[in-house]
Amino acid sequence: MTRQDEGQGGAAPAAQASVNLEPNLQDPDRFYEQLLAAHDGLSTEQSFELNARLLLLLANQVGDSGVLSRCIALAQTAATPPARESASSAQAPTGS
Amino acid sequence: MSGTGYVLPTFEFRVPPELATAGSADGQDGAPDIAGRVYPLIIVGGGLAGLAAACDCAVRGIPAVVLDEDDTIGVRGASSRGICYAQRTLEILSRLGVFQRVKDKGIQWFVGRTLAGEDEVYSFDLATQATHSYSSQPAFINIQQFYIEWYLVDRILESDTVDLRWKSRVTGIRLLDEGVELSVQTPAGEYRIKGRHVIDASGVASPLRKMLGQNTRAEVGVDRWCISDVRFRQRPKTERWTWIEAPFNQNRAVWQHLMGDDVWRLDYQMDPDCDPEAVSRPEVVAERLREQFGEDVDYELVWVGPYSYRSHVMERFRAGPVFFVGDCAHGMSPFGARGGNSGIQDADNLIWKLQWVQRGWGDESLLDTYDSERREGAEHNVLVTNRTARFLSPRTPVERMIRKAAIDLARHHPFGRTLINTGRMSMASVYTRSDLAQAALTRRLGVDAIGAGTPLQNVPLAEHGDLEQVIRSKAGCLLVVAPDAATAERVDARLVRDEARAAWFVADSQAAPAGWAVLAAASGARPLAEALGLVTGRVLVIRPDLHSAGCVPPQSVGALLACFGPGPGPGKNP
Repeated sequence: MTRQDEGQGGAAPAAQASVNLEPNLQDPDRFYEQLLAAHDGLSTEQSFELNARLLLLLANQVGDSGVLSRCIALAQTAATPPARESASSAQAPTGS
Repeated sequence: MSGTGYVLPTFEFRVPPELATAGSADGQDGAPDIAGRVYPLIIVGGGLAGLAAACDCAVRGIPAVVLDEDDTIGVRGASSRGICYAQRTLEILSRLGVFQRVKDKGIQWFVGRTLAGEDEVYSFDLATQATHSYSSQPAFINIQQFYIEWYLVDRILESDTVDLRWKSRVTGIRLLDEGVELSVQTPAGEYRIKGRHVIDASGVASPLRKMLGQNTRAEVGVDRWCISDVRFRQRPKTERWTWIEAPFNQNRAVWQHLMGDDVWRLDYQMDPDCDPEAVSRPEVVAERLREQFGEDVDYELVWVGPYSYRSHVMERFRAGPVFFVGDCAHGMSPFGARGGNSGIQDADNLIWKLQWVQRGWGDESLLDTYDSERREGAEHNVLVTNRTARFLSPRTPVERMIRKAAIDLARHHPFGRTLINTGRMSMASVYTRSDLAQAALTRRLGVDAIGAGTPLQNVPLAEHGDLEQVIRSKAGCLLVVAPDAATAERVDARLVRDEARAAWFVADSQAAPAGWAVLAAASGARPLAEALGLVTGRVLVIRPDLHSAGCVPPQSVGALLACFGPGPGPGKNP
């Protein structure tokens, strides 16, 4: 499991910040379920607003400027799949 | 349903004694019965749960009659069938004496890949990961469900305590003052049969459940799937591939994994509004396979079937003398292999309790714990599988967006992978609500019953094989395990002498006090204290279903045993 977060951040304080990218949620499935449940019955716009409020609340929990900068940078780069040595093709099992 | 299918065994219908003694095979005068005869246990339904229960009876020497409506095992109608059997199930099957056959026929895979779009999100290799397992059995085995049923039948036929009656359809049930009377329809006529206890293992559409007016809370899923079991001409790599979004399946999910006989299970998530008949036509299946594997894919279609699922849990798993097990009592989506697995675990939980009551060792309250324990297990399974189902079928664009964020992050970072929910593998249940769980026992004993209700693993042993074999050889006894001889000596010697319901062991010790035997970990295995979670100065009591009954101080063992029922009492030896 290589850490993909190296060499991404531009700003000096962000480059130093240590972001925990290993599993850290106590109960990931429960969190995911709660997150979806919070969106039940909302319009798309209301959902975006909920996500934004949640984001700001979680940012306040983190607090550390360097970590937050780093997280913003990581969220930006995660939109693109990581480069792979040899991209595994999605065809199996015949011929493999 | 189409495909070349499997050749399944058929079993011979024999005229039951109830009809034979009536002297005629045409059932004149309605349904004759053998007056007064009450069977200790009647099991209705010969699927995975019913046969596991029957096999447990065979192993324990409990007389039982099994009524199954057809004369074979395996696929009936267009329903999907389980292929993945988890460690706890394999442990139970080892006690029942069929594990080796399952292992020989089944497949173990180690590399799993999760994909979305054109490429991989992440992969793992179980062979290189540290396991925290102490068990004699592997984490899981893939095998067709009917093979397990077949092996169970073979095992049952070796015994003379269980009477397998094929082509015997239950058409009526009547609760008696004590026990149950069933009406049974057979090719040789109809008859009535009485049982002290009845296990209803007749599946999701159980007629008995309806006849008894028992409610089940159902939630219908909208998701549709289509299974295509195929054999490829070129033997592929034994890896499990899971697409969350498969480009060749309209960005819906696809599972691909191997089971016995070189047969691959391909399970396609379908458009919820699709026509189930249309998507399982051979030419449509062929089109899907070409999309997935290329134009020149060369295969043999073994079995095809569309399915949808509903989750349901009965309000009570017990109605007086009737116990509901398996799909009859609970249903859920197939993710994480919790359907058939939990049916086998239902049987494992129930049969020893029935044996205890038959022997006069336990009372009605022990039987009630079947309901509280297995219903808790079922409700947990429904919760877990519903979460997976929702991950795999986002209900709104926003849900899909959140899932995409999880997938994007999982491609880069280990933490993101914890959010990818393509199924959480079935585990042995933890019981917290029953009268034999930690909270209740602690209240009753006045001391903490540490770990009561939690599952233990089938730890390999130096001389006895493993724990399941000890349980089997002790025929339904509780196993009491002391961490050392000094702690064992603090248990009242009269209790050790008189208590027939327990077998007494000291873990990894050179010596044992009178009445106690040494139980040693297999060479090279980790010590029992670690594998069983023994607590210094306390003794562990292990139930016959390999769950803990708690670690308690030596002076509380007698009180703990009394929580299982009054017992045979001193001098009585059943």
